[in-house]
Amino acid sequence: MAIGCNPAENHPISFKWIEAAIDKGAKLIAIDPRYTRTASKADIYVSIRPGTDIAFLGGLINYALTKNLIQTEYVRDYTNASFIVSEGFGFKEGMFDHWDDREKAYDVKAWTYATDETGKALRDPTMKHGRCVFQLLKKHYSRYDIDTVAKVTGTNKFDYLRVAEAFCGTGQPGKTGTILYAMGITQSTHGVQNVRATAMLQMLLGNMGVAGGGVNALRGESNVQGSTDYGLLFHTLPGYLPSPEYKDETLEAVIARYFPKTKESKSTNWWQNGGKYMVSLLKAWWGENATAENGFCYNYLPKRNGNHSYLQIIKKMIEGGLEGLVCMGMNPAVGGPDSLRAREGLGNLKWLVTADLWETETSIFWKRPGANPKDIKTEVFMLPAAASMEKEGSISNSGRWAQWRYTATEPPGVAKSDLWILDQFHHHVKTLYKKEGGRFPDPIVKLAWNYGSGHEPDVHQVAKEINGYFTRDTTIQDKDKTLEFKAGDQVPAFAQLQDDGSTVSGCWIYCGSYTSKGNMMARRDPTDLPNGLGMYPNWAWSWPVNRRILYNRASVDKTGKPFDPKRPVITWNGSEKKWEGDVPDGGAPPVDDEKGAYPFIMVPEGVGRLFALTMKDGPFPEHYEPIESPMKNPLSKVQNNPCAEVGTNVTCDLNRFPCIGTTYRMTEHWQAGAMTRSLPWLVELVPDMFVEISRSLANEKDIKNGDRVTVVTERGSIEGFALVTFRMQPFVVDGVSIEQVGMPWHFGYAGLATGDSANVLTSGAQSPSSSIPEFKAFLCNIFKGGKGA
Amino acid sequence: MSTTRDLSNQRTFLIDLTKCTGCRGCQVACKQWNQMEAEKTSFFKGEGYQNPATLSEYTLTTIQFKDYFHEGKNEFSFYKAMCMHCNDPACVSVCPVSAFVKTPEGPVIYDTKKCIGCRFCMIACPFGIPRYQWSKALPLVVKCTGCYSRVKEGLIPACAKACPTAIKYGGRQEMIDEAKRRLTANPGRYMNRIYGLEEAGGTSVLYLSAVPFDDIGFRNVTRRPLPSRTWAALRFVPAAFITMGGSLAFISWLTHRKEKIRRDKEMKEAGHASQKGDRS
Repeated sequence: MAIGCNPAENHPISFKWIEAAIDKGAKLIAIDPRYTRTASKADIYVSIRPGTDIAFLGGLINYALTKNLIQTEYVRDYTNASFIVSEGFGFKEGMFDHWDDREKAYDVKAWTYATDETGKALRDPTMKHGRCVFQLLKKHYSRYDIDTVAKVTGTNKFDYLRVAEAFCGTGQPGKTGTILYAMGITQSTHGVQNVRATAMLQMLLGNMGVAGGGVNALRGESNVQGSTDYGLLFHTLPGYLPSPEYKDETLEAVIARYFPKTKESKSTNWWQNGGKYMVSLLKAWWGENATAENGFCYNYLPKRNGNHSYLQIIKKMIEGGLEGLVCMGMNPAVGGPDSLRAREGLGNLKWLVTADLWETETSIFWKRPGANPKDIKTEVFMLPAAASMEKEGSISNSGRWAQWRYTATEPPGVAKSDLWILDQFHHHVKTLYKKEGGRFPDPIVKLAWNYGSGHEPDVHQVAKEINGYFTRDTTIQDKDKTLEFKAGDQVPAFAQLQDDGSTVSGCWIYCGSYTSKGNMMARRDPTDLPNGLGMYPNWAWSWPVNRRILYNRASVDKTGKPFDPKRPVITWNGSEKKWEGDVPDGGAPPVDDEKGAYPFIMVPEGVGRLFALTMKDGPFPEHYEPIESPMKNPLSKVQNNPCAEVGTNVTCDLNRFPCIGTTYRMTEHWQAGAMTRSLPWLVELVPDMFVEISRSLANEKDIKNGDRVTVVTERGSIEGFALVTFRMQPFVVDGVSIEQVGMPWHFGYAGLATGDSANVLTSGAQSPSSSIPEFKAFLCNIFKGGKGA
Repeated sequence: MSTTRDLSNQRTFLIDLTKCTGCRGCQVACKQWNQMEAEKTSFFKGEGYQNPATLSEYTLTTIQFKDYFHEGKNEFSFYKAMCMHCNDPACVSVCPVSAFVKTPEGPVIYDTKKCIGCRFCMIACPFGIPRYQWSKALPLVVKCTGCYSRVKEGLIPACAKACPTAIKYGGRQEMIDEAKRRLTANPGRYMNRIYGLEEAGGTSVLYLSAVPFDDIGFRNVTRRPLPSRTWAALRFVPAAFITMGGSLAFISWLTHRKEKIRRDKEMKEAGHASQKGDRS
């Protein structure tokens, strides 16, 4: 199922494998507001109104539950379906219980399991108890009947049933289904809950941890997987460790807050080791300066005072609260919502640094159309950057495989790798602090930085430090084995990372990627495992510990026998007491064994959460309308996600903006267009900004294919060519036909091929958990003509 | 004209249009390998995201888009237009200076040094492939070379290399067997036809499609090799030339001679020498 994604166009290489599956009998379902190049290859295509994915997925959850298509054994044994929920949870008329109207937030801690006197969660294995997760789930999604779903999503009922039958049919033994998703479902004020819904559906169908199953995010910009792995998001440190906030005054406080212990004896609860990874990270950053006595320099870590996501940074910049900004391969003038305000905001900076291969709209914001350079005081530095094939290093794909690449050709002119640029920043800032002092120079001045002394930092040294090594001779007891390590030895796997300062690791999940045996990421052995499932264990290296399918312990029953004997991901060899196949998700024996462990090792309960305990906007995904919506929410009285950040320049005025607007990408261009709109062979394919509209909308507005048109929203207006096509159809919402206008967001005023930016139109309405903007659903209007008409 | 030769190992493309996603990786790879100029385009020319409109002196292959509605369902199809590298090429046959050559490996290549820009090949090609260099003062004809520079080094053509899904490349028999295997394994998926198997006597580019070939722009081309048709006429040219030319020349001579005899007779009777000749 491809929902909120378009792999044929945006991940063309992945489509090779999708087609290989289709050749073997797999069916492709494409769910998209438009008929895309992916839809053209799908067995089933259905349209969906932008922003209604929870209704769609909730309907599938309801279908699976009511038709009893779930994999009962899996649901009972491997999810929290049987757990009893405390009275703190309730749902009424669109709101969950424990809403604080002053804070404009839920008290998430109130949604807990009912526990016994030791604090262990109570369960009903028959899943009949009125307060067990399973019954609460059924009740919640009973409101998502097919008629309601069709009304909300605008999907034809007959088509929807075809999808439900096909996909929910994968809950049968011997069958499996995978869900692919991307920005189509994440870029929403309920984006995180959209993805949660896919995970819940997959758990109900027994599709998590099995071959051909899973919830598979199509990671976009290469190397976005690597960037989130290494903690480039504001709220994480490398390896998805938490970035401490001001209230986390000590390392112990962090460990207590973020790495809970579990009451479940058979739960591996791997995050309990988080303290070891924090310490190893601090050792990587401050080296010898980080000691047990000084809390491993924990005090040098900046403590976050809230949300510093992209939109908050831009907002602060617009308000004049930022002195400087460094944009490395990042183009706020085109890539973020409400571009006109963002471009203006750049003018408030005292200085701006961009590192990119070409001039970007951000680097030339000061001479953009309509701007007077004389009025702008910002000092702009443009650093020419090397392209990906001009530098050595690894890229991590959607399957978590880190594949090492070598330099194919030297960068042109004075263009430099990001590694060189960052190394230079470090060198110069450190020197300045050493010379001039400052308010608190220690965190910079005491940084360990061991990447060689050559002109170009040694990326292998970086990779080795990321993997980690021992700082002193160490002996580790691993069950019945005694492991001896010398100072300087690479750490073989993160199970050996310590919290006493004896190990360094720049990113614990990559521990094992560069060992004493060498660079595991550079391996290219195409031999498959005997199970022939396409895991290629010696091709590159995947985190964690080269495990290819996460949660693979859920692919076997409690005795260790694969649910699908034809596709055994792992199998328990009872006589030799070991697992065969993929790297098991923890080496413990199967659940029924005395020392057995549950499959979902990253949560304290050890079982998958159908009922979530930490989601800001609710334990169950609930459909709410996008902030700019053409209809009243039919599911409940609550129109929008109550936790969403709305912003000020939004509207639901259907008189001015009667159409649904949405944005997307194309094969031929890349993101904000800086990387592709100056390449003549790509510009030849897609030279101009355009919008796609249905024939009915075209007739209504007297627009012909190829006419210039203007699209308007509350934020601004843009011009482009009109592409009139059968592939766009209006949605029938409550008996009324609502048109949609779709457009690529690749264009801007810089480069060889220019055009108006779609993000001039989009709003800064954000998802509460991820802070991602709601790019995919807004209200707009379209008119024939434009300045260039 | 054609000798029986073993084509079973001839380098052949199998382009399965049911797998083509219209990504244009092939179009760009071709431009890059051949270092062709990008054309100046605007919006799109044709259906879908079509650009450029068609093959040209700058564009040796294009993905043609089809974007229509058929029996209540969307059809969004893509077809790679390129030289078919015929087994028995019409262009080779009609070229007066033998600039075109059917290589033993399979690609039909041409020598630009020999080309005189007469454009006979453009008229002869049943697929309408060769393009003229309208922009140049000394125009020549241009077409896909089958990446012969790569093929003769044991590499596969640039488009085949770039394509992640639809293009396979190998021996002709191997490609025919694969095509037949796919038609048998998935009959509901394909039109039961391998385009290029017999068209123009068989070509080195074979296509499979889900939609009728006519619907997406493929021409219905005779199964006889084109040279067998053109040769049927052309082989008479020398004889026709000599016979017609000779006959006409003889009749002309005869007519003039009759006239001359008549004039000489008149002159004798008139007793005067004529100053002006008759115009007959």
